[in-house]
Formats: sequence, structure tokens, C-alpha cells
Amino acid sequence: MLRKIAFTVVLCVLGALLLTGVAVAEDKVIKIGALFPLTGPSAVSGQNCLNSVLAAAELINGAYEGFDVPLAATEGLLGGYKVEIIKADHQGKPDVAKSEAERLYNQEGVFAVIGSYNSAATKPASAVAERAKKLFLCGASSSAALTEREYKYFFRHAPTDAIEATEFTDYITYLNEKKGAGIKTLGLIYENTEFGKHAADEGKKAAAKIGLEVVADVPFNNGATNLSSEVQTLKAANPDAVFGAALGGDYSLWVRTMKQVNWLPKIAINFCTGYQNPAVQKELAGDGDYFMGGMSFSPELAKEFMPEALKVQEKFYFPLANQEFDSDSLQEAVMLLVLGQAIEKAGELDTEKVREILATETFVSPLSLSGEVAFEPGGQNIKALSVITQIKDLKYNTIYPEKFKNAEPVYPMAPWDNR
Amino acid sequence: MNHFLQVLFDGLLNGLVYALVAAGLSMIWGVMDVINFAHGEFLMVGMYVSYWIGFFLDVDPLFSWIASGAFLFIMGAATYRLIIRNSLGKSAMAPLLATFGLSMVLKNFCMNRFTPNFRLLSGTVLEGKTISVGGAILSVPQLATAAFALVLLACLYWMLKRTRLGWAIQATAMDSEAAELMGIRTENIYLLVFGIGGACVGITGGLMTSYLAVYPEVGSLFSLIAFVVVALGGFGSIPGALLAAIIIGLVESFTGFYVAAVVKYAAVFAVYLAVILIRPKGLFGW
Amino acid sequence: MNTKKISDGIWYLLLAGALVLPFIPGGIENTFHGHVLTMVFLYASMAQAWNIISGYCGQTSFGHAVFFGIGAYGAAMAVVQFNSLPWYGAPVGALVAALVSIPISAPCFRLKGHYFAIATFAIVEIFNRLFMIWDWVGGAIGLDYPILEDGWRNFSWSSDKTGYYLGALFLFALVFGVVRWIDSHRMGYYLRAVREGQETAESLGVNSSLVKLSAMALSAGLAGLCGAFFAQYNYRVDPPMVMSLDMSMKFVLITILGGLGTFWGPLLGAAVLIPLQEYTRAYLAHLGSGVDLIIFGLIIIYTMIRQPTGIMGLIRGLAPRGRDASNDGGDR
Repeated sequence: MLRKIAFTVVLCVLGALLLTGVAVAEDKVIKIGALFPLTGPSAVSGQNCLNSVLAAAELINGAYEGFDVPLAATEGLLGGYKVEIIKADHQGKPDVAKSEAERLYNQEGVFAVIGSYNSAATKPASAVAERAKKLFLCGASSSAALTEREYKYFFRHAPTDAIEATEFTDYITYLNEKKGAGIKTLGLIYENTEFGKHAADEGKKAAAKIGLEVVADVPFNNGATNLSSEVQTLKAANPDAVFGAALGGDYSLWVRTMKQVNWLPKIAINFCTGYQNPAVQKELAGDGDYFMGGMSFSPELAKEFMPEALKVQEKFYFPLANQEFDSDSLQEAVMLLVLGQAIEKAGELDTEKVREILATETFVSPLSLSGEVAFEPGGQNIKALSVITQIKDLKYNTIYPEKFKNAEPVYPMAPWDNR
Repeated sequence: MNHFLQVLFDGLLNGLVYALVAAGLSMIWGVMDVINFAHGEFLMVGMYVSYWIGFFLDVDPLFSWIASGAFLFIMGAATYRLIIRNSLGKSAMAPLLATFGLSMVLKNFCMNRFTPNFRLLSGTVLEGKTISVGGAILSVPQLATAAFALVLLACLYWMLKRTRLGWAIQATAMDSEAAELMGIRTENIYLLVFGIGGACVGITGGLMTSYLAVYPEVGSLFSLIAFVVVALGGFGSIPGALLAAIIIGLVESFTGFYVAAVVKYAAVFAVYLAVILIRPKGLFGW
Repeated sequence: MNTKKISDGIWYLLLAGALVLPFIPGGIENTFHGHVLTMVFLYASMAQAWNIISGYCGQTSFGHAVFFGIGAYGAAMAVVQFNSLPWYGAPVGALVAALVSIPISAPCFRLKGHYFAIATFAIVEIFNRLFMIWDWVGGAIGLDYPILEDGWRNFSWSSDKTGYYLGALFLFALVFGVVRWIDSHRMGYYLRAVREGQETAESLGVNSSLVKLSAMALSAGLAGLCGAFFAQYNYRVDPPMVMSLDMSMKFVLITILGGLGTFWGPLLGAAVLIPLQEYTRAYLAHLGSGVDLIIFGLIIIYTMIRQPTGIMGLIRGLAPRGRDASNDGGDR
């Protein structure tokens, strides 16, 4: 009996405690929401993205010498306003993303939200923003559909799947023409989720344009226990090129399974995710070598074209995340820096003014590969650039386009028994 | 033909791994009529134990499965003592939901402690080794796990059928009150069954680290398949679990290759439903 | 009988309060607690719909995410694919959910205990994976609502949640009303008779298969309506969102936490679990890495160990003996 009463009391107290935890508004603070999948299947990437935003906020808030990055030298924004990042977790679920976005705007009173990694979560969350006429900034979500909605308050940095897919096929054309590679057939392997399906659809469209024949189309269930039949299907069709879209665990399983059945296409190119996560590549050790992928950041690339990113990484990101930037997470930081610049230019915290500036001006962005950022109507960054890299000994060597190239591609991929 | 053989072997190997994952669940289920919803997370913990031993002490998964098994034995027994015993008999769904809560705790605890990163042991003894059988290529780590599955299942079966302990477990499963009257300490039997169930899945997890990446969500799909394997085989039946797991492995690999990879799990669940409707208590159910 | 009237009086007074709330400034509008309250009534309705078949009739179904999902797709397809109104889609979705529930549950009813439970969740997995590849309903990409004008016509609001709140309250009144009606009519006695012993019930002339099937269809149809509301509320539907084991578990957890097979149990369960889930996430998730979910899981474990009959059991345990005996004859 007593126990039951105690139980009820504990529950009530807990409830009351949680209810009263509402934050009190402070002066001289600009609140920005950071909405990422901090738990659930895409938590790895979500946490990297959050750390990246936090790193950028630190850069803005303090006065730092020796960084050729806008906002680094001055303390805060608008003459002393500090950026406060309000973290939120959407667990990879669209319904949670939607209600958390509402909470951030309405309860926490954030000026803008940065997020949300998974395109499926970004869609409803940014719909909330659009309806409430608030800013939503997106770093890494790659679904082309996001910027085809003609939203006014939505801005996205990353190149879309469509841009990446076209770059992949451009590269294949280049190999065929310049090196006589003779790539005629294509296989696609992708997780059957919003992300994978979008990427594959764009891949197929781009392939059709250059007359590449799709001989294998293999969607798989993510979080798979094995990929034997998937890889076997690829092997049976034996395409010259493969486009892949798989998250970390599935990516390593895919690579290992291909090794097991001793098969490789001539060339394998990946849409971001598993391929570009340095932690995954480290675990795969040499097995990940010679695979390719679209990226907009790599330490090797940064050394030459975006040295400031490396400095920011060392001073701000590494202490938080204990690893290097990857091309997804870095873009979230870029979006905060762009937003900061727009606020500075507007001179006040006025959503409409800041929106107008974001929509019309071009921003200096030493952390982007192209060095600048500008948005077209709908919110897509028209300066978005990505390159094709090939990994070798844990180094992402840039192989295409010519302008950024720092290594000759190893083509075709070295067979498993010859490594 | 070449592909047929490969697909067949893939199905068999995956099936044997499923059998190993399901064996512990089946025992718990058969003896206590409890669904351990945290089974997939037990598997994940087993994998982490083996991974960290491999990472820090440089012990190969070929040996560290012993530690995984021991750790999960203790964890299983503790789960029984702290959670199951207290929720048993109060309502039919209480143990199931309590273990559901446990699965949330374990999954998020591991994420909290070990970060959600994917971790894969490299440089293990068997890594990347393959053998070729009639044109089909088999991975040695998977083969080893499968061979181990057969041995372990045989041991379990022998233990249940031929030892006094096994008889006591069976008696408890059939009628715990009568067993109690016959002088069997059913309480200890339950504890032991949960421990053994945990140990089985721990050993599986330990072995699987040699070819599968570890991350907090890794157990989810395995546990779903394990539920289906156990229900298809008949609760508590070790041969049933083995046969069911092989059927499921084969259905998975054949539909995966000859129909479409994306429907392979749908096919697995559909086959399970079809069988269970003809034999409502599973293939070997009693 | 008198005490029953009094205790029911308290409940109805509370509900009247809930109805008045949106008309007080700061009551609902666009507040977070407005969101939480809306979710409480939505999830209470879902749990009550589940309670019909699983609580009153004793068939523990893990398959309700399928019916919930079909209802959600009904509304979303009407709006997104057919440029029509959710008012047409929702009833169609609910009807389809009810119709689908019959052929899939009829064979499953032959299964006993955990065999039934596992079979129903295999069904969720099958539907989930088939919807993932069914392009007509959006496949893995899902269905996203365009931006629509606020109001009852589109059943869509952005700056003020009062409409959603009233909608959820109406849904709640509908589902609870249906259950109250069943409860006090012949059907309720049939359901409980089947739960307590199918053979005995049949020997007394109850057609148990018919009773179970009609209870399932009703339960599925109501779950479908809740799904339609969920789609409208989130502006989006995809299979993992609505047709997942996670969603099924919510039906089960809420009802059992509140009190399986009791009339007010689902509301109590939702009133505790949903705020707990929402507020732990809102105030603890920023600590990073799942602290909120760990606490949530611990509370579930604790409840199941200490209070497996749910909050209703707790309340009855506190009430003096004899008074609750007259409360609801057949309740657990």
C-alpha cells in the first residue's frame, strides 16, 4: 500500500519537475534550434551534425584571431549578441521532427532552426517553419524534392541527389571518352528508404541520359542482417559500374559481402553516407579502398582548397566530436555561418529582412568547396559543389572534376585477391 | 546453376546463424511462456563485449565468445531475478512489456556509453577467408559461426534430453506446480533457463563480431527474425528452431535472389504466417 | 451503483474542463502543452480502440499499426494524390482498415497466446515492407502534404492548434462513446464472455468467431480514424512512421499502463505516458544520446514490476474494498 502511494508520488513529482523546466529568456542571446537525429538508426550522423553546429556557434561567439572566416574575429553577432544553440532530438522520426520543430519555434522562441539530416524528417519540420513564416536552414539533407516545393523560408546547402547523380554520369562519360573505359551497364544498390530511393531514382534518370543501361536495381531493407542475396544479384548481373547508397553499418556489410563473393564492378560510386564517414572507413581498413563517392569535403581536398575548414576543425570541431569533419556535418556549420552573416547584414533580428538577404545575396563561405553560397528561389544553394573522390589508405583522393583533381584514379578497382 | 548453389549455401549459413540467435529465446519461451523482448539487445550486448575484448585485449572473437557467453549468462540471470520474477504471473503481458522497457534501456545505454558509431573488428584470424565449394564461395567466419551453431544446439538438445537438469527443466516447463511438488526448485530452474538463454545469445553475438559491425541498433532485425523462428519451430523445441531457422534462411536467400531483395523479409514473414495457420503451434509445437 | 455515478461524474467534469480549455487565453493556441494534450487525447483514443479487441475480448494484437496506417494513408492519399479533402479520405481509410482486418485476423484467431501476438506483428512487418515498395502510395518516399489553407475544410492548422485539439477531443468522445455503448449492451457481455472462456461462452450460445471478428473490425476502423488524424497532424505519412512495431507497441503500452480492459484505463495511460514521453524528450534529449529514452524505459520496467494491473489497478487498490466491486462487473 505504502509502496503504491510512494510510486504515485514519485510519478507526480517527476511530472511536475519536468513541467517546470522551462527555460527563462535571457537578453543578448540569439537562439538557434539544432534539430538532428541524436538517437535511433542515424544517430551517428546526427551527432556529428550537432557537434558541427556547436563548433560554428563557438567560432561566432568568441573573438578569434587568425581565422579567415567571417564572424570569427568579432565577438557574437550584432555587436555582442551570443548565439545559443538549443538542441533537439527527432530520433529519425518525421512526426517527432514536426512536433520538436514546433516546440523550438513556439516555446523556445528560436529565431531559426538548423537541421534535420534525414530528408524524411526535414520535410515536415520545414513545413512547420514555412507555415509559421520562420527560417529553416538545412545543411545535408539531399532529397531534391526539398527545394522543389517553392518554399520561401527554406534554404539548403548540400548539392541534391540530382546534382550528384549527374556528376557521377559525367564522370563515367569522361572515363569512357578519355580513357576508353567502356562502361556500358549500371547496377544500383540502395537502402529502401526515402534517402536511398530518391538517390537511386536520380541515378536512373542520369544514367538514361547518357545511355547507360541499368542491369540491376537492388533496393534492400536497411539495418540488414545480411546482404548475401543483394550482392549475389549484383554479381549475377555483373554491371560495369555500381551506384550505392547505404548508411554506415549496411555500407560495411556491403563491402565485406562483395569481398566474400570475390566480386567487384569496374567502378563503384556512392551517394554520401557510409562511404564518406571516416569512422566507417577506419573500421573497414583496406577493404574500403578504391571505392568512390561524391563529397564536398575531405581533409585532402581541404588542404588545398579550404584551409580554413581544417583550422576550424582542429580548434573547434575535434575537441567536441573527436573525429574529422565529414562532408555532411560540415555543411551544417556552414549554414549557421551563413545565417550569422545574414543577421549581421540585416542589422536586426527580423525574420523577413534576414530571409530577403538570404534569398538575394551571395555569401562568402571559406568552409564551402566553392568558397561562396547563394540560394535560388526554392532555397537550393546554386554554388553547391561536390567532387568525386576515391579512397585509398584512408585518404580521400579527389579524382574529378579536373579543377580539383589531386590524384589519378585507380581504374578499374583493384580486385580483392590483388591487394 | 552456379548462382543456385551460392544462394543455397547463403541461405543455409544465414539460417544456422538465426537458429543460434533463436535457441536461447526458444528455451525461455518454452519453459516460462515469456517473450524476452530484449533478446535483440542481449545479442547487441554480446557483440559489444566481444568487440571491446578484441579491441583492448586483442583477443580474437574465436575465443572471446566465452566471455560474451559468461557475461550474458549473468545478465540473463539478473534480468530474471530483478525483472521477470517480479512481473511473472501478475498479468500475461507484464513480462513482455517489462523486457520491452529493458530493450529501450539497453539500446540507449549502449548508445550513450559507446556512441552510435559502427564498430567492426579488423585483423581477426578468420577475417576475409573464404573457401570455394563447387563454385560457391563461403565465408569462413560465417561457416565457423554456423558450425558452432550446430554444436551448441546439439549440446542444448543433449542437455535437455539426457541430463537430470534437462529433465528438471522439461518437468518445470510442463507443469511447474507438479515439478515443485516433486522436489524441483523451479525458482532455480527459471533462473538457470534465463541464464542459459542469455548465454546462447551472448555466444552468438561474440562469434558474429568477426564479420558484422556492432552498433546500438544491430539487434532489432535479428530479434524480429528470432521471434518468427521460435514461433515457427514451436516454443521450446530445439529441433523445431533449427528447422524453422533453416527454412527462413532459405526463403530469405531464394526470394532475395530470384524475386527481389527488397521483399525478402516480407516473404519470410508471409511463409511463417502460412505455416502457422496450418500448424497453429509451430512445426514441432506441443 | 451510486458510487459509480459519482466517480463517472468526476470524469465527465474533467472532460467538460477539457472542452472549455481552448476558450481560455493560453489554453491551447500554439503552446507545447496544447500539443501534448492533443496527443494525449489522440493516443487515448487509439488505445481505447485497441482495448476493444485486446482488453475486453482478450486477443492481444500487435497488429494495430496496420489499421492505424491504412487510416493514415486514407486521409493522405485523398489530400496528396487526389487533391481532395481529408473528410472523404478518412472514412474510406477507416472502412478499408475495418475490411482488411477481417480476412487477416480470422485465421489468426485460431492461434493461442503468444502465437497470436507474434503472428500479428509479422503482419505489421509484411504490410510495412509492401507499402515501402508500393509506388502508388508513395513507397519509401512517403506522402507529403502541400501547404493548405488553415481551417476545418482541410483539417489543417499551423498557427493555432485549437482545431486539432478539438478534433482529438471529438475523436476521443467518439471512441469512448462507442466503447461505453458496447460496454453496457449485449455485445460487451459477449466480449467478456469470450475473454473469460471461449468454450463456455459458446456453450451458452455465443457465436465467438462472429463476436471476435466484429470486435476486431470495429477496433480496426476506429484505429484507422485515429491514423487519419495523425496524418493530418504531421503533414506526412510514410510506412516507418505509421506501420511499425513501435507504433503497435504504443497501443499496447498505453492501455496496459492505464489498465487493460477497463473503460478509463486508456485515458489514464495516455495521460501519464504521453506527457512523460514528450516532456522527457523536450527537456532531456538535449543532454544527448538517449537519456530521455533510458528514463522512459526504466519507468516502463518499474511499472510492470510494481503495478502490472496499471493505474486503474492502483486506484482500485487505494479505494476501500467493496466500493470498486460494483464499478464495472467484468473488469480485471
